[in-house]
Amino acid sequence: MDAMTSTLKPDPSMIGGVPKLPLARLPDPEGLFITRAERFEFLALHSPNLAPYLRFLGAVAHAQAELARELPSSAPIPEERIALARANRMPPLDRNAMRDGLSEVLDRLCEKLATVEMPEPARLALRALQAAEASDRDWVIGNVLTDAIPGDSVAPHLFAAAALQVHAAMMASGLHVEQMVPIKTGICPACGGRPATTMVTENMGAEGARYCACATCQTLWNEVRVKCTCCGSTKGITYRSVETEEASVKAEICRECGHWVKILYQNKNPTLEPIADDVASLGLDLMMRDTEWTRGGFNPFLVGY
Amino acid sequence: MNIDLSRRGFLKLAGAGVAATSLGAMGFGEAEAAEQAHVRAFKLASTTEVRNTCTYCSVACGILIYSKGDVAAGEKAEVVHIEGDADHPTNRGTLCPKGAALKDTVLSETRLTVPRIRRPGSDRFEETSWEEALDKIARALKDDRDANMVQTNDAGVPVNRWTSTGFLAASATTNETAWLTYKVVRSMGIVGFDNQARV
Repeated sequence: MDAMTSTLKPDPSMIGGVPKLPLARLPDPEGLFITRAERFEFLALHSPNLAPYLRFLGAVAHAQAELARELPSSAPIPEERIALARANRMPPLDRNAMRDGLSEVLDRLCEKLATVEMPEPARLALRALQAAEASDRDWVIGNVLTDAIPGDSVAPHLFAAAALQVHAAMMASGLHVEQMVPIKTGICPACGGRPATTMVTENMGAEGARYCACATCQTLWNEVRVKCTCCGSTKGITYRSVETEEASVKAEICRECGHWVKILYQNKNPTLEPIADDVASLGLDLMMRDTEWTRGGFNPFLVGY
Repeated sequence: MNIDLSRRGFLKLAGAGVAATSLGAMGFGEAEAAEQAHVRAFKLASTTEVRNTCTYCSVACGILIYSKGDVAAGEKAEVVHIEGDADHPTNRGTLCPKGAALKDTVLSETRLTVPRIRRPGSDRFEETSWEEALDKIARALKDDRDANMVQTNDAGVPVNRWTSTGFLAASATTNETAWLTYKVVRSMGIVGFDNQARV
């Protein structure tokens, strides 16, 4: 894509129309969270039932964008760490090393959200997080760093996960795609995280290709289509959508492992956003809950479905 | 859900302690209930996406076939769209005009789905069984081979050439199918032979 816009030198692969798909698209944190906030607000206007939650998450995304602008850019990942990760097929970002940075980002996010309108249970969780003892905070931070949100305390973890999204996205934005290697189906090549949703993109040079959206560091990475992003099986894949076959959000079901992950057809609707539209299509989750299949997409804003 | 006892104080302050969905835990339970009531009137629509190889030429482009309905769930599937497979190393999602029109080939009313024969003296084709069709083809091949097989050349060297019949095999075959086709056709002596047809 960049080759088309940033240089006048002709690129034969673009002329031939068969460029190689980039492994990943790294996040531009501020732009990404602004786009997400706007998408949440737009979706709130068109989804009267979910509007209160969508507006709230829009406000969270706005705060995330502000944080991404204000925070200093993170230190580049040392060359040795990248070489080690490449040699052993590991993600270059070390989740455990995010602990200290995350704590500070979480403090600042909580401050920004203090003025945001939210229901009492959310407010309680936010205050509890701010007043929490060090050991409780470490517990919450440890949980979101391992993508393991306890079902009995979803609310405080939502704020911590939102802080981690900013922190991890800023670290991922400093990586270089050409230094990254695919790790395993359904594992983010930047931070080792899991996808919230996957998208069929229509970007120049990646028309019809599928990218997984990391729920944590917001990196998009290429994954073969018609393949389960939970177990890697290509057998028994089928799709379900609400009411119409023409839907631009569908559940990609794997009969092998029994999980399903949402697939967003950006080629049908370029404004689809991997996190915001995941939340706004909660109706699909509610309907899929009555089937034999289990949700496989990880989204800290949609726990328990 | 197990509650970590050492976190009891924190969980109590955070208003937590029971398993809940994100919307429930954050106080948006009414929104969730409204959405649940809203979708009750809807049903799930099923679709499938399947990989295949374009049937036209030896390039053998990858294609994705979209259908309404899920055969594995006992439904009837109907092809609604065919496009290039972006993951396929040969064509990376692109298709030529013929490949791009594949859906019309699949759904064409005039598409040949059963063997048909125009008998001597008749002005129209009629449907026939595979049994009869294969018998007739075998008979015609045998008669032609018996009449025109060249067993030796002018110098008396055995050549076993059958030049009066040609054989055209289609694309979208595996290496094994192509190998078998080659062996069958060449062992009969057929010279004019193209596998993976460039039609």
